[in-house]
Amino acid sequence: MTRYTLLFGGKAGQGPNILTNLLGSALVKYGYYVFYSRDYQSLIRGGHNFNVLTFCENPLFSNDYEVDLMVALDEVTEETHKKELKKNAVILKGKKENMYYAGAIFKLLGIEFKALDDELKILKKRYEENIVQAKKGYQEEKRTIAQLERKKTKAYFTSGSESIAQGAIKSGLDVYYGYPMTPSTPVLGELAGRAVDNRFLLVELENEISVIGAAIGSAITGAKTMVGTSGGGFDLMTENISLAGMADVPLVVYLAQRPGPATGVPTYTSQGDLNLTRHAGHGEFQRVVLAPGDPKECQELVSRAFYFSQTFKIPAIVISDKHLAESYYTLTEPIKITKSKKLTSLKKYNSYEHDDYGISTEDARIVRSNFDRRLKKQEEIAKEAEKFEGYKLYGKRDSKNMIVSWGSTKGAILDCIKDLDLCFLQIIHIDPFPKAIERLLRDKNLILIENNSTAQLGQLIAEKTGVFIGDKHKILRYDARPFLHDELKLAIKGRMR
Amino acid sequence: MVRPNILTNKKYTWCPGCPNFQILAGVKKTVEDYMVASKNKEEFAMVTGIGCHAKIYDYINLPGLNSLHGRVPPVALGLKLGNPRLNVLGFSGDGDAYAEGLGHTIHAARFNSNWKYLIHNNQVFSLTVGQPTPTTEIGFKEKTTPLGVKLQPLNPIKMMLSVGATFVARVFADAKQVEWVLKQALRHRGFAFIEILQPCIIFHAQAMQYKNNLYWLEKAGHDKTNLEQAMKRADEFDYNVAKKIPVGIFYQVKKPVFEDQFPQLKKLGKNGWKDIKR
Repeated sequence: MTRYTLLFGGKAGQGPNILTNLLGSALVKYGYYVFYSRDYQSLIRGGHNFNVLTFCENPLFSNDYEVDLMVALDEVTEETHKKELKKNAVILKGKKENMYYAGAIFKLLGIEFKALDDELKILKKRYEENIVQAKKGYQEEKRTIAQLERKKTKAYFTSGSESIAQGAIKSGLDVYYGYPMTPSTPVLGELAGRAVDNRFLLVELENEISVIGAAIGSAITGAKTMVGTSGGGFDLMTENISLAGMADVPLVVYLAQRPGPATGVPTYTSQGDLNLTRHAGHGEFQRVVLAPGDPKECQELVSRAFYFSQTFKIPAIVISDKHLAESYYTLTEPIKITKSKKLTSLKKYNSYEHDDYGISTEDARIVRSNFDRRLKKQEEIAKEAEKFEGYKLYGKRDSKNMIVSWGSTKGAILDCIKDLDLCFLQIIHIDPFPKAIERLLRDKNLILIENNSTAQLGQLIAEKTGVFIGDKHKILRYDARPFLHDELKLAIKGRMR
Repeated sequence: MVRPNILTNKKYTWCPGCPNFQILAGVKKTVEDYMVASKNKEEFAMVTGIGCHAKIYDYINLPGLNSLHGRVPPVALGLKLGNPRLNVLGFSGDGDAYAEGLGHTIHAARFNSNWKYLIHNNQVFSLTVGQPTPTTEIGFKEKTTPLGVKLQPLNPIKMMLSVGATFVARVFADAKQVEWVLKQALRHRGFAFIEILQPCIIFHAQAMQYKNNLYWLEKAGHDKTNLEQAMKRADEFDYNVAKKIPVGIFYQVKKPVFEDQFPQLKKLGKNGWKDIKR
C-alpha cells in the first residue's frame, strides 16, 4: 500500500518531461498505478518546471506533498523543494545526462533493466547514446528504496487531453475548430496528428470568435462539430453560444479551466469557471454542462455532450481544468461511449426570434411560443439526463460524513477516503442538475471541496436544493495549485464527525 | 424547367426606395440564372450580419444563417468546410465588415475560401439611426457626433488589395451592376470581395450623387491583373469627396483555395459531412 512520490525538476528545456513520461509508462506496464502531474511556468526556456509522479501497487489518482526521491536537474530544484523531502529521501543531482538518471531511478526502485531498455526502444530517438548513459546510471547507483515486482495488468496510462480528443473521435467528430490557449491546446495537438487518418477536419482560425462562428456554420450543415478553449477564449465565444441557443445549433464546447480573472496564472489550475459555463451568453436558452473528473469520464462525457447537443440541438459544454487536462492517470475500467446520430440539416437558421421557417419575427405570439418551446425542451433535456449517471457515489454510502465535489478534485478525494468513514458525492451533470442530489445531502455532515475561492458548486447546490454549506464545511484551494493527497486528508479529517 | 423564384413572401421593411431593393433584385436574378443553367444542381446558402442589409435574409428563400453582427466570414467559412459544394453568399453592412468584424474580413481575404462576400456600404449605421461607421466621411454630423467626424475613412478596397484578396470589386447598388459583378465573382474560384455603394436615403442621402460620378474600370483600360494599378485606382475615391468613383473589378488573381488543403474534404458528397457515417 506504500505510495512513492518522485519529483523531477529543472529548467524548461532540460527535459524533465521525457524522464517522467518514460518512468510513468514503464511503471504502468510493470503493473503499478501511476499519477503524474506537471507544474510548469509560462515560459519556453529557463525558469523552474517540475513534475511529480506518485505510484503505488493499488489504484491512486493524486500526488503527495512529501517526496521520496528527487531528481534535481538544476540547483533551483533542490533549493525549492528540499522542504518537501522525507527524512531519508534520495536526491539525484550533479551534471548528468537525463538517461543516466533514468538508469539510477530504475535501480533505486528495483526494476529490471530490461524495462528501461524497452522504453528507450519505444522512444527511439538517440537510442545508442541513451542506452550507454542508462546502463552507467543503473550500474553506478548502489542504493535501493523499493523492490518492485512485475505484475499482470490491463491498465492504460493517459491524460485528460488525450481522452478528450479520443472521446471526440469515438463520438464521430467531423470538424474541430480551435485557437491555441493553455490548457486546451494539447487537445489541438492530439487531434491534429490524427485528422487525416480518421477523416475529420481540424482547423485553427484567427481567434475564438471566428472559431465558434465557423463551428456554427459547419454544425448547421449537419456536421458533428466541436470547439475547444480556455477561460478568456471562452469569454470571447459567449455571444455565439447564445446564438447556438437561439438558432437550435448542436455544438460541443470543451472548456479547460485555468486560474483567472483575466490572464491569471495561465499554466496552472483552477475550477473558477463553473458559474461561467452555467450563465455564458445573453438571454435565456438551454444548454448542457458536464464535468468529468478523470480521463475515462473525459471520453464518456464528450460522447454524452455530442448526444445531448445532437438530440436537442443545443450547445453542450464539457468543463475540465489544467490539472485534469495535463496530468496522466492509470485507468483500468472500460469506457462507455454514448452513440449519437446527426439530426441537423441545412435550412434557414436565424439569430433573430423566428417563425417555423426561420424567418425573423417580432410577433408577440410567436416570440412567446418560441420561449415555451424552449422551456419544454429544457424539461425534455432534464428528463433524458436522468437516464445517465449525473452523479456518482464512492466510499461508505451510509456514512454520516459526505464530501461533495466536482471535476478534477475527484482524484485526490478518492485517494483520501479509502480508509476513512466517508462517502463522496461527485456531481457530473452541472446542468441539468440531478434531482436526486437534494435527497442525498439530507442529514449528512457535508464537506465541500473545490479548487476555487467562492465555492461555486456550493452556490449551485444552494440554488438547486436550498442546502447551504457553511464556510467551516468548505475546503477551498485557490493558489492555482491542485489538491495533494496527504495535505487534503488532514483537512478532511479536521471536518469529519 | 420552370424558372425558380427565390423570393419569400415576407413583407419588406426596408424604407421605400432603399437601394437595398436593387441589391436584392441583382442577387435574385443571378442566383435564379445559376439554378436554371445548372438544372437546379447548384445549391446556394447565405449568411447575413446585423443591420439593414441583413433583412435580405428574410426576403430570399435560401438556407443558411442570419448571424451576429460582424461574424459573417467565420460562418461562411464554416459552411464551406461543412459542405464544400455549397455556393455560399455572405452579406454584410459596413458596420459588420469594417467595424465589428474587420479582423474577420481581413482573414477571409487571407484564407481565400471559395465564398462571395457582398458588403452593403451605406457609410452609416442605419438600423441604429445614423451613427458614423469606419467609412463615414470627415465632417459628418449627427446626434451622437455633434462635433462631426474627425477621422479619415477606411478605404476597404485598398485594404483588401493589401491583404491579398484574390477578387476585389466595387459596384453601385443597381440591379444590373450587382448582377454583373456577382456573376463574375461566382466564376472566380476563391474568395470574392464585392463592395456595393448603397446610399442610405434617410441618414446618408448625400451619397446618392455617387451615381453620377462612377466610371467603369474595364472601359478605362484598367488591367485587373496589375496590383499596383489597382491600388492607384482604389486611391481615386477616399470615401470623403466623390469626384471620380471607379467601379468594376480592381483586381483578380488565382491563388490556392483554403478548402483544397484538406484531403478529408475531397471525398464528401452533396450533403458534406452530414452523410458521413462512422
